Amino acid sequence: MSDRPAPTASGLELVAELRSTLDRAGELARVAEINLRELAERGGGAADSNRVTELERRLATAESDVKELASRLVDSEHQGGRLMNLYVATYQLHATLDPAEVQATIAEIAINLLGAEQFVLLLRKEEGEGCDIALLGGTAPERGDGNGLYGGEIYAGGDPVVDATLADGVLRLGPTADSKALAAVPLRVQNEVVGALVLLKLLDHKPILRAEDRDLLDLLSAHAASALFAARLFATKDRKLRTLESLVKLARGE
Amino acid sequence: MQPRKVLVVDDSKLMQKMYEVMLRQYPLVYASDGRQALDRLREHPDVDLVLLDVNMPNMNGLEFLAQLKAEGGFADGMAIVIISTEGREEDTARGLEAGAAAYISKPFHSEEILAVISRLPARSAA
Repeated sequence: MSDRPAPTASGLELVAELRSTLDRAGELARVAEINLRELAERGGGAADSNRVTELERRLATAESDVKELASRLVDSEHQGGRLMNLYVATYQLHATLDPAEVQATIAEIAINLLGAEQFVLLLRKEEGEGCDIALLGGTAPERGDGNGLYGGEIYAGGDPVVDATLADGVLRLGPTADSKALAAVPLRVQNEVVGALVLLKLLDHKPILRAEDRDLLDLLSAHAASALFAARLFATKDRKLRTLESLVKLARGE
Repeated sequence: MQPRKVLVVDDSKLMQKMYEVMLRQYPLVYASDGRQALDRLREHPDVDLVLLDVNMPNMNGLEFLAQLKAEGGFADGMAIVIISTEGREEDTARGLEAGAAAYISKPFHSEEILAVISRLPARSAA
């Protein structure tokens, strides 16, 4: 685990600052209320009346500030949470050089952060047409979309939304009349589309993708494939290195 | 509640990292399934809050709760919060019936977790 401070720290500091300001504003409002009450009890002339008016104005301003700060506090907390999700997802995607672990992380992001119940990870075949189904998440007996598109080991095309995303690398949200895909997320390495993550069904208690989910989908689009390909490359090179080391040992008669 | 130590029980490394970032003001210990969680509780008697996933290998969250209850682990007033992708009403009811103090569905906003923790009653035993 990294010892570096999480990037959400500044967000949390902002939240703490807002809380503190909110407390001060509340205190000011209480003081103003006490002063008003005292003035009302004492009675008084025109000067007191002016002071009351001034205090009422200040009180109204303080109350307005409290509401504004409360609203900003909620927004900041939400923003902090959203940034934390993005940080953790990015961190975990690049935390390993084991391809299986990277795939597991993609699945965990889909399930735990996006609330996907069924999803498919497609990776373009190195040779030939179509995509390998690298990962199929979901519990439905029909596997995937129910149309048999993802029933085997290869996706040969057939969902127009997914096919379009694989062709032009544009993230698409559904479903549409001819596709059950809720999201087709292009996976890019540099500028090349090397696959797609297709969300087919969300958990029952999460009926729709929220606005902040778009950030996670964009993150997956930019980071998932590069993390996976880096891990695969490392695994391949590591395997070759071991083979060469064995050959050298053999040649030396060790 | 200001927990002295939090036990995170989740087999997802992503979620473990999430809790590490979210709850960095508290000491955390981790377990990847119910069996490990029981061991961690024996090793760390000062744990007073458990964040518990349900779907885990070897021993799931509900089995862990049943075992903990059988061993009398609830006696010291430790709070358990279930955090699971299973978010139907019957899942929530089952979790609360099993002894959890609160039930949160994934995906969640971090402020939900922090709000639930702050509302939990303080541990009675010193």
